[in-house]
Amino acid sequence: MAETKDTPNPAEQTAQGAEDSNKALLSRRDILKIGGATLAVAAVSQVVISGPFSADSVKGLERDENGHAEVGKHQWHMAIDLSLCIGCSYCVRACQAVNDVPDDDMRWNIVFPEQTEVGLEFYMNRPCQHCQEAPCTRVCPVGATWVRADGIVAMDYDRCIGCRYCQVACPYDVRRFNWRVVKDENEYVPKWGIPEIERRPRGVVEKCTFCVQRIDRGLSQGLTPGVDPAATPACVDACPVNARIFGDILDEQSPVSKYLKEHEAFLLHEEWGTQPKVHYIRPTDGG
Amino acid sequence: MIRAFAHRLTHKPLQTWLTSLAITFSVGVAAMIVVLAMGLQVTGLSDRVPWGLWITLDLSSIALGAGAFTFSAAVYLFRIKNLEVLARPAVFIGFLGYSSAMLALAMDIGRPDRFWHPIVYWNVHSVLWEVTWCVILYSTVLVLEVLGVIGDSRLGRRWPRLQKIGHMSHRLTPILAIIGMGLSLLHQSSLGATYGVLSGRAIWYKPSLPVMFIISAIAGGMSLTMLASMIVGRLRHQQFLPPQVCVGVTKTIGFITLGYLYMKIWDWAATSYYSHTPATAGMLERLHATTPYTATFWGIEVILGGLAPALILLLPNLCERKNLVMLALGSIVAGVVINRWNVTLSGLVAPPAWSPGVLGNVIAVSYSPSIIELLVALGIVSYALLGFTLGVRYLEIYPRHATHPTD
Repeated sequence: MAETKDTPNPAEQTAQGAEDSNKALLSRRDILKIGGATLAVAAVSQVVISGPFSADSVKGLERDENGHAEVGKHQWHMAIDLSLCIGCSYCVRACQAVNDVPDDDMRWNIVFPEQTEVGLEFYMNRPCQHCQEAPCTRVCPVGATWVRADGIVAMDYDRCIGCRYCQVACPYDVRRFNWRVVKDENEYVPKWGIPEIERRPRGVVEKCTFCVQRIDRGLSQGLTPGVDPAATPACVDACPVNARIFGDILDEQSPVSKYLKEHEAFLLHEEWGTQPKVHYIRPTDGG
Repeated sequence: MIRAFAHRLTHKPLQTWLTSLAITFSVGVAAMIVVLAMGLQVTGLSDRVPWGLWITLDLSSIALGAGAFTFSAAVYLFRIKNLEVLARPAVFIGFLGYSSAMLALAMDIGRPDRFWHPIVYWNVHSVLWEVTWCVILYSTVLVLEVLGVIGDSRLGRRWPRLQKIGHMSHRLTPILAIIGMGLSLLHQSSLGATYGVLSGRAIWYKPSLPVMFIISAIAGGMSLTMLASMIVGRLRHQQFLPPQVCVGVTKTIGFITLGYLYMKIWDWAATSYYSHTPATAGMLERLHATTPYTATFWGIEVILGGLAPALILLLPNLCERKNLVMLALGSIVAGVVINRWNVTLSGLVAPPAWSPGVLGNVIAVSYSPSIIELLVALGIVSYALLGFTLGVRYLEIYPRHATHPTD
C-alpha cells in the first residue's frame, strides 16, 4: 500500500504551489509569525502574572508560604449548646431564606435528632465547622475556597470549576454541589428572611459562610458581630432558645468568649487536626 | 438473512469492529451532549459520593497510559534497543489514555467552560493543581511524540511540513523521554496522593497510596502495551518481539506486580491487621457490612488482578503459551481498573462518622452510575479503541514487516 505513494500526488503539488505563491507575500507570513510569538509571550506572561504572584491570589488566599491561613484581628467562632437546642429548626429555615437555598437537600446548616451512647436524646446541629486547617481549602486546584484572615472558610463561586475535590476532602459533609439549575421558589422567603446573596449557578460548590455578608457589612457600619443582629449569622439570630452563640474569640468580652469560659465545650473530631471554629456544649438530661 | 449477516461479520471483521466502535462512540457523544445541556444531575453522583465512574475512568486511563513513559525511558534513556518496537505503541496508547482522561474530566467538572482556571489561578498547596499541571504538560509531551509518529507515516509523506515537524520531534525524543519520565513520576503518584492526603478520611489517609499508585500504573501500563502489541501481532500474523525479549518484558511485569502486592499486603497489615485505629476500623466495618468491598479487594484486586497473573508471568517457557500470557496481562490491566474504583468508592460510600451521637450519619451511602454516565464512559473507551485501531492501520505504530518470523 505504501509503495503507491512514491509518486508525488496532486495534494503535494498544490501544497508546494501554495508555498511558492506565499513567497511573494513574505511580509504576511512574517506578520503572522511575529503576531503568533507576541500572543504566546502574552499568554505565558499572563499566566505567570496572574498565577502565584497576582494581587488577586495573594488577597484571595491569605496564606503564608506553608499554606496556613494568616490570622487577622478578628476570629469568628460559634458555640452551639446541644443541651439547649429543642430541634425547632428555625436556624435551618433562616439560613435557607437569607442565603437563598430553596432545595432542602442542599441545606448548609442541618439539625437532626440524635442519641448519645447511653441513650440520651438530643438534636445535633451542623453548620460548616470553619476549620482553621480546612482540608477542603488545601485541595482546591484553583484556590476558589480559602480560610480568610478572620477564620471564615470562604468560597469564590466565579472561580470554582466544580471538580468537587473539596466535597471529597471535607470530613463533615458540609459542602453542597449545584447538580442542576435551582429555579425553585424559596418557600422560606419572606417568612424566615430575605435573600441577601445571589443564588449560585449550576456546576459550582457552595457552603455555609457564617453569613459573611452580614459580618463584612456590619463591621463597616461599626456594628459588632455576635452582638448586633444585623451583623450576626442568621441562624444565631433565629434561635428562640439562644443555643447558638457567636462572636470574636480574640475579644474576651464577645458573647462566644464569655460562653466558652463558663461552659465546657468540645470540637467535632479534634483528632483530625482540622481545628474547627464551631464549639459544642454537651447535651444533658435537663434539656 | 441472519446467515448473510453472520457471513459479513466473519469475513470483514475489521469493518464490523470499526462500525460497532463508531456506533458506541456516537452514542457516547450524544450522552456527552446531554450532560453538557442538563448538568451533572443526570449522573448517579451525589453530595456524599461526588466522584464515581468517570473519576475511575480518568485514573485508569492515566495509569494504563504509564507504559508510555516506562518504555520511552527504557528505550531512549536506558538504551534497551530490544524494546524499541514497543516504544511507539506505548507512546500512542499513552496519548489515547491521557486524551481519554481529559475527555472524562471535561465531562466530570461542573463548569467545563472554566477548564482553564487551574492554569491561571494557582493553588500550589493543592495536590490536584500539581496533577493538573503535570497532566497538561505531559499530554503536550505525548502530542509531540505522536507528531513524530505521524510525520513518519503516509500522512507525513503526503504533507512534507508534517514530516519536518516529525523529524524535529525525533531529535527531541531523548529530552522528551526525560521530561516525560519526570512528569509521570510526579503525577502518577500524586493521583494516589489525591486520596492519600485527606486527613479526614481514615481509609485513604496514608503515605503508601501515592507509591502504590505509581507502581500499579507501571505494571498496568506495561501490561496494556504488551497486550495490545500481542493482539495486533496475532491479527497481522507478525511477531514484533523476539521470544527472549517477550519473556524479559513479561517477567519484569510479573516482578513489578509482585512488588506491588508486597506493598499492598503490608499496607493492609500495618493499617488494619497489626494495628487498630477506630476511624479506619469503623470505615472498613461499614464497607464490609454494606458493600462487596472485602470480596472485590481480596478476590479481584489481590488474587485475580495481581497474584495469579504475576505467578503466570513468572512461569518458565512462557512465550509459547501466548493465550495464557495475554490472559495474565489482561488480568493485571483489569486489576488496576478495579483498584482505582475500589480506592475511590471505598472512601466515599463509608463516610467518616462526625456526629457525636450514635444514630446520625453512620448510614453508608450507595452509588451506582446512571445510564448516561455509563454511555459517556462507553463512548470514551470507544474513542480510545477507535483511535488505536485507526492508528495501527494508518500510522506506522508497528513495523510493516515482521522482523521475527511468526510461530
